[in-house]
Amino acid sequence: MTSSVRRLDTDVEVPPEAYDDRIVDLDFHVNPMEDELMSYVEDDRARDKLTTEFGSTPVMGKWDAAYAIKEGNEGLYTQGRAEHAEDVHEACEMLAVDEPIVNPGINNLNLQHHPVLKNAVCQAANDYMLDNFVDEGIYTSMMLPKWDPEYAVEELDRVGEEDGVVAAYSWFDPKVPWGNEQFDPVFEKLVELDFPLMLHGSLSYWPQHSYIGDDMLTWTEILGFDWPIHGMVNVINMIMRGVFDRFPDLNVVIQEAGHWWVPFLRYRMDEFYEMHPDDIQITPRKMESGEKYLNQAPSEYLKDNFYLCTQPFALPRNSGEASKMLDLSFAEEMFVYSSDWPHQTLDPPTWFYTSRAFSDDEDLRNAVLHGNADEILNI
Amino acid sequence: MSSENVTVDDAFTKVATTEEIPQGTGIGVDVDGIEIAVYNVEGEFYAISNRCAHQRAPLCKAGDKKINAEHTWTDTRGGVNEESCTVSCPWHLWEWDLETGEHEASGQRIGTFDTHVEDQDVYVRI
Repeated sequence: MTSSVRRLDTDVEVPPEAYDDRIVDLDFHVNPMEDELMSYVEDDRARDKLTTEFGSTPVMGKWDAAYAIKEGNEGLYTQGRAEHAEDVHEACEMLAVDEPIVNPGINNLNLQHHPVLKNAVCQAANDYMLDNFVDEGIYTSMMLPKWDPEYAVEELDRVGEEDGVVAAYSWFDPKVPWGNEQFDPVFEKLVELDFPLMLHGSLSYWPQHSYIGDDMLTWTEILGFDWPIHGMVNVINMIMRGVFDRFPDLNVVIQEAGHWWVPFLRYRMDEFYEMHPDDIQITPRKMESGEKYLNQAPSEYLKDNFYLCTQPFALPRNSGEASKMLDLSFAEEMFVYSSDWPHQTLDPPTWFYTSRAFSDDEDLRNAVLHGNADEILNI
Repeated sequence: MSSENVTVDDAFTKVATTEEIPQGTGIGVDVDGIEIAVYNVEGEFYAISNRCAHQRAPLCKAGDKKINAEHTWTDTRGGVNEESCTVSCPWHLWEWDLETGEHEASGQRIGTFDTHVEDQDVYVRI
């Protein structure tokens, strides 16, 4: 008997069916080289300070993802480093991604110290993205400076009208949660531009310098669970403080904070609110409006106003269990595919073709791969 | 890994010449519908299932050059470690023992296949 032998196609890495579907990726990081990024800083004084021997503000950290994998900090570049549009196209071809929504992945900026220098880097990042991605036809999520809401509105005014800028990228963190009223002018502008607010985990905010943080020693605890906890806290804070009664059209995308906690929030938020609703009226937005309660049950805001990036999906191997979890988690309404390219936590769209939870449910697969993203992005 | 004193019969299939798999690299082949990655580790040839058990990444791509590799530290996406006789997955760096097919941290295993080299040809036993 003669065996059939053929060399495998070296350019395709995901199941071939993935190329038949339209795939939108809501979390694709590009990484400008520091010299090139700094050349975009407009203010001479800020550029001088950022490019001298002192460089950008150092961030104290006593724990690092580097301890968890053999390649250490290279985990941020496991797949490579996209600096320009052609790099993004090359990476997306391997993963069958049709529409990457790229962001300037400078995730440690949020918790650096100097607000003026941070604003200068933010301006430079947005101009770098315009020149190298927006102008090359790649949809972009512009950087939104959480630390300075007034400047955030200025940046939205300056950059938000550019064709190809389709969302605003910022961070959830353990500092001021997004339900705080100081962000109302930002929300107003986002709604005016019809931009979703993308909130990503922020590097360097591990719960250090606290009792519980001092005893967190592993990546699994910190990235795996500390980020989701702060993601959940921000979601609940925005809902209970009435953000969406004032801005019902605001859409928020939570990135890298997990997604299987949706059932927990659905039932627990509603249970607690319905049993203890009388403090809603003394939250600042409700004090101002004179309303006594939320306009709807907390879980309705979760379903209507929030979208959750799926990376890393961590789908149960048993497709029956996976289907049940997807259903309880409002996946068809809330989940949006994301790859997290080029990080070591990369999630190629394999789940959608290897699990019957998706292969048997075309509507669900389409919703997560592109339908929900299409609903909130003008692309 | 390479078998000694074997007779190359119908169970063995030629998958490449030795020249086609330089030391420290691998290739991917489909033999009768079975995807296999074949690696050259210090002149010894090892064959293992081409699909990582974690998320079905193609292990034959381990060692591919990264995009803008010159601006990264490790240059390649995963790769063959000749010293430990392992291959690390190009997507998430899961490290597979080429002799046993084991991923030490999880205890999971993927298939391994006997290989044989004769007259500069590399054979794999299915």
